[in-house]
Amino acid sequence: MHALFDHLNKMALTQVSSNKCAGGYQKVYEHESVELQCKMKFAVYLPPKAETDKCPVFYWLSGLTCTEQNFITKAGAQQAAADNGIIIVAPDTSPRGCGIEGEDESWDFGTGAGFYVDATEEPWKNNYRMYSYVTEELPKLINSNFAADPDRMSISGHSMGGHGALVCTLRNPGRYKTVSAFAPICNPIGCPWGQKAFAGYLGADKSTWEAYDATVLAASYDGPKLDILIDQGGDDQFLSSSQLLPDHLIAACSAKKIPVVFRRQPGYDHSYFFIYSFMSDHIKHHAKYLNA
Amino acid sequence: MLVCKVKVKETHCRVTDLLPNAQYELWVMATNTTGISPASEKALYMTVPSPPAIKERGCSSCPEAALIRWDSGNNNPVDSYTVEITEMDTHGAQCGAAEAIVAVPSCQCLIQLQQDRRYMVTVRAVNIGGPSEKSHPLGVSTTGTLFHLLEDTAHPCLSISEDGFTMFYGDEELPLKLTSMCYRCVAVLGDLLPVRGQHYWEVAVDDYTEFRVGVAYEDTNRNAYLGATNTSWCMRHILTPTRHKYEFLHDGWSPDLRITVNPMRIGVALDYDGGTLSFYNVELEQHLYTFHCCFQSYVHPCFALDNPGGLTVHNGVEAPGYTRN
Repeated sequence: MHALFDHLNKMALTQVSSNKCAGGYQKVYEHESVELQCKMKFAVYLPPKAETDKCPVFYWLSGLTCTEQNFITKAGAQQAAADNGIIIVAPDTSPRGCGIEGEDESWDFGTGAGFYVDATEEPWKNNYRMYSYVTEELPKLINSNFAADPDRMSISGHSMGGHGALVCTLRNPGRYKTVSAFAPICNPIGCPWGQKAFAGYLGADKSTWEAYDATVLAASYDGPKLDILIDQGGDDQFLSSSQLLPDHLIAACSAKKIPVVFRRQPGYDHSYFFIYSFMSDHIKHHAKYLNA
Repeated sequence: MLVCKVKVKETHCRVTDLLPNAQYELWVMATNTTGISPASEKALYMTVPSPPAIKERGCSSCPEAALIRWDSGNNNPVDSYTVEITEMDTHGAQCGAAEAIVAVPSCQCLIQLQQDRRYMVTVRAVNIGGPSEKSHPLGVSTTGTLFHLLEDTAHPCLSISEDGFTMFYGDEELPLKLTSMCYRCVAVLGDLLPVRGQHYWEVAVDDYTEFRVGVAYEDTNRNAYLGATNTSWCMRHILTPTRHKYEFLHDGWSPDLRITVNPMRIGVALDYDGGTLSFYNVELEQHLYTFHCCFQSYVHPCFALDNPGGLTVHNGVEAPGYTRN
C-alpha cells in the first residue's frame, strides 16, 4: 500500500515551469496532495551540482499572502544556492481552491495563511494540514523525485513562514541540520495574527495552541544543539504593531541556552527587499551545516 | 692594549682564553742573552662571536612564516647573523636538510615556512673570524598563529602572566600621578606577525568581565577605547543590570545584535586577503559576527578590560573548519 502510494505520488508530479537560473534550474511542480486534499504547487531550485550528485535541501516557508512564486522571483537565493550546491524547495502557503466557506475572506486567515499547523476544527481540518504537508509529505516527494540527500535538510522562512520554520525545528529535534528566519512570528499565542489563526484552525482551547508556538516550544526544548540565525527589519511595521514579538523568543532561548544570533537591521521593513538583502548570509549559515 | 705576554721555548704557542668577538694582534719576538729582537709582523686574529640567545617571548609564528628575535649575545657589534632552519618530523627527529639564511643584518628575521610543519631554528652570530656556535634552539610549529602579549604596550593597570598569554586587571587604585599619564584604555597589544593570509586565535573570558577583544592598527590612539575609532575593530561585552550585552564596534558604531548564549571562549579569525574579521563562540561552533574591512596596513590583536578581571589568549591552534569559507 505504501509502495503504491509512493508510486502514485511520483506519477502525479507535473512540471509547471522551468527556467535556467545561476547555472541550475528554477522549476515549479504541481501535484495532488494527500494531506491537503487538493492540487498544490511547489518550487524547486536545482543547483548545477544536482546533475551529478545528491544535494542537501533547504526548505523555505513563505509568509502571509504568498504563493510559491514570491520567493523564487524576489529573494535572490538562487546564486548562493548554486554556489553551495543546495536544492531549495519553496511550497505554497496554504491549500487552494478547496471551496471552503470563508477561506478567501481575510488575507491573514484561510487562503495564503495556512500557519503551518494541522487544523483540528471544521471546516478546516480536512484540508488545512500544512504542518504535516511540510514535515512529512513534501520531503518524501522531494526525496523520491530529485537528487536530494534525505539526511541533510534545513529550514527557513519569513514572517508566518519563519514561525513555521522555528516550530518545525523545535518539534522535530535532530531532523533539520539548522534553521534561520526573517522577521518571524515568534510567539503567535501572544499576537493578533496568531490568536485569529489558532482560534480558527485549532479551536478555543489555548493549550492546543502551544504546540505551534516557537516561544513555548523553546522553553521546553530538549534536543540537539541548535544554531538559530534571525534577521529582523528595524522599520518593520509588524514589529512595531506587536505581531512578531522576537523579545519573547530571545528571552526563552536565553533561559534555555538555545544559541540564537538575532540581528536587528535598521531601516529595513517586512518586504522581500529586506529578505533579498540578507539572503546570502542565511544561505551561508545553512551551507555551513548542510555541507559539513 | 697589551693583553698578555707568553714566554715559550718552542716555535709555536697555543693562545687560549680569548674573548669572543674580539680582534687580537699577535706578534713574536725572539730573545737571547743579548736581548730581544724587533717584533715580528703582526698577525691579526678575530675571535668568533658568542652565540646569540633567541628570545622566545619575542617570537611569533603563523601558518606560513615565523618571526624570530634574539639577543646578540655580544657586547660589541657583529657583522651579521645566520639563521638555520631544520624541519622536524612528528617524533622530533630531523627530516630533510637544514636551510640557512645568511647575512641577516639585525636581531630579527622573518622566515618563510610551510603550513602544519614543525621546525627547529637556531641562530649564529658571524664576524670576520667566522660564525659562532649555534644558539639554543627554538621549536616552531606552523599550525595556527602564535603570538605573545607585548608587555611594553600594556596599560600599567594590567599585569601579564609569565608565559605572555594571560592578562589581569587588578582592583588596586593607581597612584594619581600615574593615572594622569596613562592611556585611558586598559589594553594590551599582541605581537602578530606582519604576514598576509589568515590568522586565528581564541580568547577565554568569563561572564563577569567586561572586555573588548579585536584588532587595531599599530598607531591606534591609545587614549581612545578599542572600537571607538576607525583604526580598531572589536567585540565588546557589557554587563547591564538586566542582561549581557554584546557589541561589535568599529568607528564607534555597532550592529544591533542579541546573543542568547554568552560565549566563554571566543574564536577570532582575521583574513587580510578577504578583508574580514570574524568572531565565533568556539564551544558552540557558532558564528557571531563578521566585519568586512579593508585593512590598510597590518594590525595587532588587541585586548582590553573595562572592569577588573582577566582573560587568556589561546593561540597556536589550527583554525576550525567552521571558521573557514
